[in-house]
Amino acid sequence: MASAFLTHPQKVLRLYKKSLRHLESWSDNRHDYRFHACVLRGRFDDNIAEKDMVKATMLLKTGEEEFWTKQHPCPYIFPDSPGGTSYERYECYRVPEWVLEHWHPSEKAVYPDYFSKREQWKKLRLESWDKEIAQLQLEAEVGGPKTEALPPARIDGDLPPLWWQIVTRPKAQGS
Amino acid sequence: MWFPASVLTSTLIIIFFLLGYPVVTTLVSGPVKPGWAKTHVKPAVKTAFFVSLIPLFLFVNEGVEVVIASWNWMNTMTFDVGISLKFDHYSLIFTPVALYVSWAIMEFAMWYMQDDPHMDQFFKYLLIFLIAMIVLVTANNLFQLFIGWEGVGIMSFLLIGWWSSRADANTAALQAVVYNRVGDIGLIFALAWMVTNLNSWEMQQVFVTVEGFNVTPPALGLVLAAAGKSAQFGLHPWLPSAMEGPTPVSALLHSSTMVVAGIFLLIRMSPLLEKSPTALTVCLCLGALTALFTACCALTHNDLKKVIAFSTSSQLGLMMVTIGLNQPQLAFLHICMHAFFKAMLFLCSGSIIHSLGGEQDIRKMGAIQRQTPWTSSCFTIGSLALTGMPFLAGFFSKDAIIEAMTTSHLNAWALILTLIATAFTAVYSLRLIYFVVMVNPRSMAISPIGEGDPQLINPLKRLAWGSILAGLCITLNVLPFKTPVMSMPPVLKLIAVIVTVLGFLTALWLIAPLGARTQTTLSPNMHRFTSMLGFYPALVHRATPKLSLVWGQTAADQMIDQNWLEQVGPKATVTLNKPLITTTSNIQQGITKTHLTLFLLALILVVSMIIF
Repeated sequence: MASAFLTHPQKVLRLYKKSLRHLESWSDNRHDYRFHACVLRGRFDDNIAEKDMVKATMLLKTGEEEFWTKQHPCPYIFPDSPGGTSYERYECYRVPEWVLEHWHPSEKAVYPDYFSKREQWKKLRLESWDKEIAQLQLEAEVGGPKTEALPPARIDGDLPPLWWQIVTRPKAQGS
Repeated sequence: MWFPASVLTSTLIIIFFLLGYPVVTTLVSGPVKPGWAKTHVKPAVKTAFFVSLIPLFLFVNEGVEVVIASWNWMNTMTFDVGISLKFDHYSLIFTPVALYVSWAIMEFAMWYMQDDPHMDQFFKYLLIFLIAMIVLVTANNLFQLFIGWEGVGIMSFLLIGWWSSRADANTAALQAVVYNRVGDIGLIFALAWMVTNLNSWEMQQVFVTVEGFNVTPPALGLVLAAAGKSAQFGLHPWLPSAMEGPTPVSALLHSSTMVVAGIFLLIRMSPLLEKSPTALTVCLCLGALTALFTACCALTHNDLKKVIAFSTSSQLGLMMVTIGLNQPQLAFLHICMHAFFKAMLFLCSGSIIHSLGGEQDIRKMGAIQRQTPWTSSCFTIGSLALTGMPFLAGFFSKDAIIEAMTTSHLNAWALILTLIATAFTAVYSLRLIYFVVMVNPRSMAISPIGEGDPQLINPLKRLAWGSILAGLCITLNVLPFKTPVMSMPPVLKLIAVIVTVLGFLTALWLIAPLGARTQTTLSPNMHRFTSMLGFYPALVHRATPKLSLVWGQTAADQMIDQNWLEQVGPKATVTLNKPLITTTSNIQQGITKTHLTLFLLALILVVSMIIF
């Protein structure tokens, strides 16, 4: 269950992953990176059996400080990730699903199978809507939800809440 | 053979018609036909290029100095503004160069932007930009030049922000507009100075009537305008940010044509500039600083397009240095050479980026010479031309500039900075070739690598030919305006090549296998400094708006709230009357017995008067 506070293993793993990513940003070639990544893994594994939480926390603190001083000023970011060169580039070309309702009948006639199935899906959506809302109201936290995560369907045969929004989300370019 | 001057004017009008007709066809209601770009745009630009060769060949053959065509436009009692076209060495050579490069880029863009739903609009914007650029280049008066100047600025804004859903693209477009507007302050100041002092914007009249005036203020205004448009130090951050736009935009606007508009303005106004030693010194020092600073930034960046953008800025600094040496023709020569190989570098980068599925980081490239031989070869040719490899295009201009610099008796500091920047050019060029084309592959295993499309290969080939032969063609057919220094010590003659070779050797030493060396950078602090662009954007982009907002708040607070409401308005009555009331009240406090005594005395007096 996700909570607002990170556990110690979570913090260590996050430090390890971002250290690896920045090491990759510093490295000129793959085998060079692999060598240093193995050395880094060794440094983490040396203290993996540490039971004293005070010592473990101090090690984590030292590690974070070392990461801060040695981090890359321009780390590698995947093109489609936030901060990447292609992030949100094609958002303006994504069309919402309800635009399909406004197609001309001659355009819809080009895809008869899809639009007939779509009518069935719309009926299903109308039928399940009340149950989805009822489940969300039942499981609503006091003060509103803390995350965007939606709960799964709890009863056999029911559909998960707000499944229509997930199924009809605009697809990414090329996927 | 004598030819009428109207031939030149007619060809220019034909060029405008050829470029404007496809734009006009989009003004009809309804969408354009599929393949409009292929059937209308590319043939238009190609034809315009061949038409522009006619005046060029006539001009070179006849040895004509300049032809000016003027029409009346706006006439008042005291001031006239006309449409005035200047056909001289600069406009007649630059127009075919710009159209040749544009032809290649338009063909490339048909491959690069084929998946874009609004491809036709993209080409329309490029055509409008091209028209504005030719207006700027052929203008004989500053007002007409200003029209072209603003036109290219607006199209730059629209094209940088092409992918408008991306926040960074919108920010970059706004950044370009704001920085250019800061530079425009200088241009508008120069225009105002000329109107008030010289009563004309016509260049010929300005150059003649400026005798006896202190031309330093308008000259510095023009230098400020050029600094904004050509991304000189202080107004430079917009150029690397402009790489948010599609690669054809970067190739056409932000390397070959638009960014050189500032240098072109200074070349046009060089007869004015040479009367102001202060302005020339500012150009020299600013250009040298820009060349070195941006070359340093290019050394450590990992985004392919940004490195090429920094190299563009460095070469613009070199052009500014040449203006400072009072060698406008050499600066113009470098503009023409630079257009070819820089556009080719950008097209190669676009090909590589598309081949690697949108990857722009050189840390995730490598070993593409067998998979994309044409792109790799053209990339190498372009990089070598950039470094000034002998007898490629860049050599003819760059070598001449450095020779002029070493044999001049001007600022040694600027000379040293420029030589270091030249060495750094070799370093980052070799770094790019090494990481992008050579070494082992670090890209994704499955990438759509390929270059079978002729729309990709043909533009690269054309620009490659230009990068190899343009230098020779132009220098053989055009006489220099100023006699170059003919004899100099061998060291000075070869200094450019020596410095470039030193740069290559340094780069080879830096990229040697690390072995036991675990530190991947010689100086982490310097690496951080150049990676963060000298912290200039971080400081200026926060400090300047904050200062403006604080001053605005203070002005509003002081003037409106405190002044009108407190010191002049309603509270002023309180301020004025309260002391009076207090004083009057205080005088009369605590003297009740006196009041009673006076009252009794007055009563006794009145009664006495009544009785007696």
